Amino acid sequence: MNQFADWLSTTYPSVFIQNHNGWAIPIIQSIHIVGIGVVLSSVFMIDLRILELGGMDQTLRQTTNRFGPWLTGALCVLLATGILMVIGEPVRELITISFWLKMSLIVIGTAIAGVFRITLRKHEQRWEEKLVKSKSIKWLAVFTFLIWVGIIVLGRLIAYDKVWGSWSPATK
Amino acid sequence: MDIPALLKSIESTGIATRIRESSYIFPFIESTHVFGLAMVFGTIAIIDLRLLGIASTQRSFKHMASDLLKWTWAAFALTAVTGALMFSTNADVYYHNFYFRTKMLMLVLAGINMLAFELTAGRTIHRWDKSSSAPLAGRATAFLSLIIWTSIIFLGREIGFTTSRAAVLAPPPADLNFDNLFDSIPTGNDSPGATPNKK
Repeated sequence: MNQFADWLSTTYPSVFIQNHNGWAIPIIQSIHIVGIGVVLSSVFMIDLRILELGGMDQTLRQTTNRFGPWLTGALCVLLATGILMVIGEPVRELITISFWLKMSLIVIGTAIAGVFRITLRKHEQRWEEKLVKSKSIKWLAVFTFLIWVGIIVLGRLIAYDKVWGSWSPATK
Repeated sequence: MDIPALLKSIESTGIATRIRESSYIFPFIESTHVFGLAMVFGTIAIIDLRLLGIASTQRSFKHMASDLLKWTWAAFALTAVTGALMFSTNADVYYHNFYFRTKMLMLVLAGINMLAFELTAGRTIHRWDKSSSAPLAGRATAFLSLIIWTSIIFLGREIGFTTSRAAVLAPPPADLNFDNLFDSIPTGNDSPGATPNKK
């Protein structure tokens, strides 16, 4: 990974971003944060509906139809800007434990969202009448929200990977 | 009380000192700040898109606002507290930072814009509550709101790039020539870590 990061930092796109550091990185990061806002609030709205704390004028299906596509779209924006950040600062990103923990949580968070949307589409009636009211689904909603909060925290910790002490490859 | 002394006294409070001395607290506060602002921006954007007639167009605006705005305010309180804590650790530098000042100005503008909504379209909600978009004044304030909050995010990110210790105490270029120091210092270059043109 060290070698890959070093190699990546010598490629043309990486050098370009490094040379335009004054505006390129802040702009990419700002778009990334806007995307985070859309993802987090979309997950939040669906979770509120499951927890019956909001959106009760809408069915669960209506709620996911409203926020699902925005969630997917924003995730694509996050992936694109995220890749640009890795290209721009490969060593700062890849040689940290925060980055890889974040990637693991993203896989889990996205998998939960994907499975949820597929099963909702297949068993719509069962979800609306029974599942949405079940305790375990409500706990899953809370858990899912916390995963996305964890992703945000880990994303910020990439810049402070030394908080992990000896676990962080950045300290070696 | 004069401003420099006030800034110094903020920096020397027990809580500011405590945060500065720990390598864990500041990253934790900053992460919480990002979480809060993601919630603020996301929930405001949902309302703005409703006003503009882009999304949630079938729903009652009143219902959405009462569902959402309490969370927006809670998240805003979180960003205000965490923001104030971060400010206290390095008050003098933040106070004089261009991006910090502009961000504060934009926050005031966001407040004025919100007031403008309340005084115009906000007074006639009963008339357009179920229509797919707000009247012109409501759409204009919603559009401005999206612009203002996006710029607040950008300005906030720039504060981090222009005030951190790394930016202030940037390491010298690897090929710094100590025998001819002034020739090797980069001049008029906008990238802080750039290698000097001359050696």
